[in-house]
Formats: sequence, structure tokens, C-alpha cells
Amino acid sequence: MSIYKGNLFWVLLHLGAIVIVVINLLTGLRIASVSRPLWQSISAILPQGLIHPLHFTSGILLIVLVIGYIGWRLLTRGQRPKPVKPQALNFHRLVIRSGYLIFFGAMLSGLLAYFSLAPALVVAVHYYCALGIICYLLLHGGGYFVHYGMAAIKRILWPSRQLSPVSLGLLLLTFLLAGLGLQLSGKAAHVLLVAKVPLSQLIHIDGKADEAVWRQAETVDVLTQGGANFDNGQTRIRVQVVENGIEAFFHISWDDPTKSLKHLPLLKTQSGWQVEQQGFYNFDETRYYEDKLAVMVSNQCQAGGAGTVHLGPKPLADKPANWHGKGYHYSQDGAIRDLWHWKAVRTNNMILADDNYIGPPDKVRPGSRRYSAGYLQDGKESGAYVMNWRWYKPDVITPKRLPKSPELLTPYQQDNSDGLSWVIPWFDYQPYQAEHDNYPVGTRMPSVMYRSNRFEGDRADVRAFARWHQGRWSLELSRKLDTGSEYDVPLRHGVCLWVSAFDQSQVAHTRHALPIQLEFSGA
Amino acid sequence: MIFRFTLLLAICSAVYAYTVRYPHERPGVPVSERWQKLTAKGQPLAPWAGPWACVLDKKNGLIWEVKTDNESIHDGYWSYSWFDGRAGQANLGDCYFESERCDTLDLIRRANQEAQCGVSNWRLPSAEELQSLLYYQGKTGDALIDKGFFPHTKHGDYWSGQAQQPLTSSFRHLGYGALAVNFGTGETLALPYRNAAFVRLVSQLD
Ligand code: HEM
Repeated sequence: MSIYKGNLFWVLLHLGAIVIVVINLLTGLRIASVSRPLWQSISAILPQGLIHPLHFTSGILLIVLVIGYIGWRLLTRGQRPKPVKPQALNFHRLVIRSGYLIFFGAMLSGLLAYFSLAPALVVAVHYYCALGIICYLLLHGGGYFVHYGMAAIKRILWPSRQLSPVSLGLLLLTFLLAGLGLQLSGKAAHVLLVAKVPLSQLIHIDGKADEAVWRQAETVDVLTQGGANFDNGQTRIRVQVVENGIEAFFHISWDDPTKSLKHLPLLKTQSGWQVEQQGFYNFDETRYYEDKLAVMVSNQCQAGGAGTVHLGPKPLADKPANWHGKGYHYSQDGAIRDLWHWKAVRTNNMILADDNYIGPPDKVRPGSRRYSAGYLQDGKESGAYVMNWRWYKPDVITPKRLPKSPELLTPYQQDNSDGLSWVIPWFDYQPYQAEHDNYPVGTRMPSVMYRSNRFEGDRADVRAFARWHQGRWSLELSRKLDTGSEYDVPLRHGVCLWVSAFDQSQVAHTRHALPIQLEFSGA
Repeated sequence: MIFRFTLLLAICSAVYAYTVRYPHERPGVPVSERWQKLTAKGQPLAPWAGPWACVLDKKNGLIWEVKTDNESIHDGYWSYSWFDGRAGQANLGDCYFESERCDTLDLIRRANQEAQCGVSNWRLPSAEELQSLLYYQGKTGDALIDKGFFPHTKHGDYWSGQAQQPLTSSFRHLGYGALAVNFGTGETLALPYRNAAFVRLVSQLD
């Protein structure tokens, strides 16, 4: 151990680094457990709850510490005794040198991911650096302990020298820098200019986005990551917004090589009709599901989902655990976040998006199997869409309706059925009767039905329609700037958005860290 | 050094053992003190399980009909005029299971024939019994009832069996009607027999 390591500045910095790296590592592994279920097996030692802000804050503090450390090394270069002959690269020095590389990798890739600039490779580098850091902690911390015993522990806890003026100055500077870093990160956002268009400018909600306004509107482009099925879990989402004083119009497009409309189809088997699924029973289907897109609108702009993302199987002590162990959405500040959920089958054919919101955690309701914490529906449960089974069971179900004639199902038996609507036309079907159920084993049937035409009331505030063309969804969406409903967030200057795409998956969506903040040109 | 190495190894193993000993929590079954789901054969069901056809009210000793959306006689969309065979108005509600239109007696007759949950003495509830179902802590926009047990309940009027009620305000000229409880507003009001309202049948536990 080199002699200057007893210095108070070094001791403080090193202790700070230990705490921060451990926080970064544990929060990071909890985040990793969302897409890598393997990590759920050590859930007992991972923190739960509002993890993202903690990860980002400690990440920024780590970067500040590293800058402080580099500054200190440079400034105290003269005071360090020069070794007479070059030092041999012993075990500890080798570990520390590798550590430099690993930490640099983790920080750079983390920063890039934070600004949604990280391609899949960089996201992977971040993850593998974290694994490297686990080894580092064992080899570096464990190595010193095994080698030097209590002396090593004393050395990192017990400063032996006075604080020199240079070190003191640097310490203060590091604190200042930390404060500044946190301040800046609190304001970081992808700013999107919202142009005002005249009321006379008609914008059709048809997914074509061929109106002139879209050619002039500013675009924000975020590389979102961590979603099931997308190439490497990533898709680039482009967002444009314009408003006319009464309504706002959104054009959102994203890459998705597959158009997925087979939403939990029914399959006739030897034992009866079965819902085709892979994870639906745990509310985490990733194969037989429609494509979706969600937009969250919030007056709160904290990175990582406006303070609504609570990770872990049981982030609320007095509420039930979730089925997939990933976490819940809810808000802790009493305010609500608006959530629009466009669904390629269930809502697209009604030219609507589901209008939901995220609020404080709901009370526990003994009658329902799925506790959804703060993720709730806005308004009336009305006719809208219903699924074609009387009661969901993983093995066999009884359909509510069957086609009046078997030919109606012929088109669905082909491999390429993406051109079909996958919505059951109510009047072409009739109530299920066992005598009429003569379909051969292997028959596939859609399972989404509209019993009445549209959502009513609060849930029908968001109009939305998307088209899929050559590997890209193009979605147009509109909503009143202010609906007057207490379950909607008014669209105005400074409001923040997050967008998430779903590729044939129920909950495993892509995400981005920083909000898209709207800047109204009129404001 | 060997001792310290062993110590380090022991600490790591202890952490690992701890994570194995405490795997992540799974959802538990929340229980309801008042409601008990029953299958169509009358068997009790766990609070999450289904399908269920009736709900037992443990507090009041009643069995309630559960509405569906499967176009059976229990479909929550069907509406009925109030009729008991003598008083009231027959066949002024909308359902698909009768050749003519529907009234409350049609549903009672069919439900007793079917004897779901082993019950064949279904009747219209009293206004008080219906009011005991009102529940104000539901999710936003839900009808005022515990939807986890009573799905497919509409924001509308549900008939009670209490007839011969003087009508008020705009219905006054029609004379008498029956009491209905509205699960959208929580109000109880006398409605003309000819109105199409919803029905949830009930039966006394023997
Ligand atoms: C010792 C330092 C760090 C460790 C051990 C660490 C660890 C991790 C891990 C394990 C993940 C999950 C990766 C995956 O599932 O693929 C993660 C995600 C992430 N980290 Fe770090 N990280 C560190 C520093 C940083 C820094 C400095 C930043 C930048 C502010 C940062 C930003 C992020 C972001 C934006 C994500 C993605 C969040 C998400 O997917 O929801 N990290 N980190």
C-alpha cells in the first residue's frame, strides 16, 4: 500500500466511493432483474421501490468522485515519493488498473444510456461492467483483506495525516461539483418544441401523417431500450407534437419489424379451446400479444418515469406482491400521471387509445387476482372490448361466441394473417353452444370482440390510429389540451412525456431515462 | 492468511445462503370477510378463482346472483320491467332469452328452473338488501359495488321487490311503482313498473 493512502481526503473519497458503488451496484442489479429474471434469485439482498432516481443520483455522484480523485492525483503528484525503480505490477495493482477500465466503461456507458444515446452494444457494456465490478469488489476489497487483514480495514477507515490546504480545497470543490451535478441532472430533458397550428388546419387521425404540419414540426428521437422481442430490446421512437389552442396532435413512429395482431388467439385442441399464451398466466405475455404503445404525461419530470416506477416483487409493505416480481407503477406524491395506451387490435379498430392514469396505490381488492397498484383506468367500464372466453384458465376455456359459419375462420388458419383485423364482428358470431362446436383440432380463432362500439366518457378522450408499413408503426393521436377531468393531465408548456413501445408483449416495454419536455412555441 | 480467506469465503456463502433462504415474495390470497364466491354447483371458491355464479353474503345470510357478459339469462346487459304475475307491467325490458320481451318474473322463473348454486327460490331483493351492496371505495368510474365479486354491474337502476310505492315528480301521473336502487348514484327511487331496469336476484340462506 502506498504511503499517501492515509490522507484524510483519500479516506473520505474512498469511503464515499465504496458507499456509492455499492448503491449503484445493488440498484443496477435490481434494474437488471426487470429484463433478466436470473437476478430475481438474489432479490432478498436487492433494494425495492423507487430505484431509478437512486441509481442515477449515485451514478452522477460517482462521476464527480472520480473527477475529484483525478484532480487530487494530478495536484499531489509532486508530493508523492518517486519510486527508485519502477514498481512491479503486483496482484493489487493489476486489480486496481483493471478496475479503472471497468469503472470508466460503466460510467461512460451509463451516461450514454441516461441520455438515450446508447446502442445495444453500449447497454450490454454497462451490464457486463457491472458484473466486472462485482469481481472487482471481491478481488480488490477481498484481496486486501486477505493479504493485510485488519490493517487494510484500518487504513481505509482511519486517516493518519492532516488535511492539507490543497486537499481541503479539492474536497470543497468536489462537494460543489456534486451539488451542481445533481442540480443539472434534475433539469435534464429532451426538449421538444410544440408548434402552434391554425384551427383551420385539419389533421386526420389516420396514421398517415401526410399533412404539411408534420413535415415542419420538430422531432425528438429517443432510442428506447429494454423491451421484449425488439431487435436487442431496442427501438428508436420519434415524437412530434403540434397544438391549435384547443387540441394537441401527436405523431409517434417507431421501428417494429413484425406487425403483431394475434392477440391471445384461441386454439382448438384435443381437450377443447385453449388460449395460446406463454406468460399470460403471470400477466407477462411476450408471444401471443398485440403491439402497443404507451405515452405517459406528467407535471413531474423526474428521470426514470416521473417517480412512478417502483421495482421489486413487493415494494409496498402493506400491499400484495406482484406476480412477475418486476414491480409496480404508482405515485407517492398524491398527483396523477396520465397514461395513454394504444393497442393494435383492441383500441386501434375503434380509433382510440385507452385513457388510463397512474395515481397513488389502490386499496387491495380481495376479489381480483391482479393488484395493479397505481395503474388504473380512467372512467367507465363500458362495452368496449371483451375477450372471447367465459373465464380464463391456462388449460381449457369455453368461448362466449362462435362464428355462425366455419368459413369465417378460414383466413385465420394461414400463416400470414397480419392483413386481417383480428377483431370478431359481433353479429357474425352467435352465443356458444356445445352442439355447434365442431371445429377440428388445430383451428385458430381470434379472441377480441367489441360488444359496443366505443369507450364512453373519460376513457374515450384520446383518439388514436396507427398504420404499420415496412417495419414501422406510424401512430397519430389527439387529445384536448385540457379535458377538465381530474384523471387527465392538461397538456401545456413544460409538461413531460415518456414513451414506451411494446412488441407483442403485455408488460415488457421499452423505456428511456430522461423525459421529453414540451416547449409550447406560444408560451 | 488462510484464516482470512476462509472468513471471506464464509461471508460470501452466508450472503448466498440468505438469498436462497428468502426467495422473493409471491402474492398471497387476500380474504374478504363478507363475500364468498360460489360455483354454479354451489361449491365455495377461493377469492381469485372463477368462474363463479353466486356470491354468499356471510354477514346477512344471503346468496346473490352474479351477472355475466355471456348472453346467458344472467347477462348484465339485460333489462326488465317490474312484474310479479299480478301487479306491474309484463314484457317491457330487453333480453334475448325470451321470445317476447322481458320482465322480472321471466328471470325469476328461468333462474329457479336452472337452480344455479343449488338455489331454486330466487326472488327480488328488498331495497334495504340492495342498498347493503352499495360500495363507495371502488375504482374510479366503477359502479358502486365491489366489482371484484360483482362484475358486469351497470351504472343504472336495479329493481327491488317493494311495489305499491307512490311515484313522485315527473312520474306522479303514473300512480304507483316499485323501488329501485341506482348503482351509479347510490340513490333509491320509486320507478314506474314499465321502466326497463336491471335485476340482481337474491335468495335467503336456509
Ligand atoms: C458503479 C457504477 C454502476 C453500476 C454497477 C451500474 C449498474 C447497472 C446495471 C446492472 C444496470 C442494468 C443493466 C441491464 O439490465 O442491462 C444499469 C442500468 C442503467 N444504468 Fe447503471 N450502473 C452504474 C453507473 C451508472 C451511471 C454513472 C449512470 C449514468 C447516470 C448509469 C445509468 C444507467 C441507466 C440509464 C440504466 C438503464 C436503466 C433502465 O434500463 O431502466 N449507471 N446500471
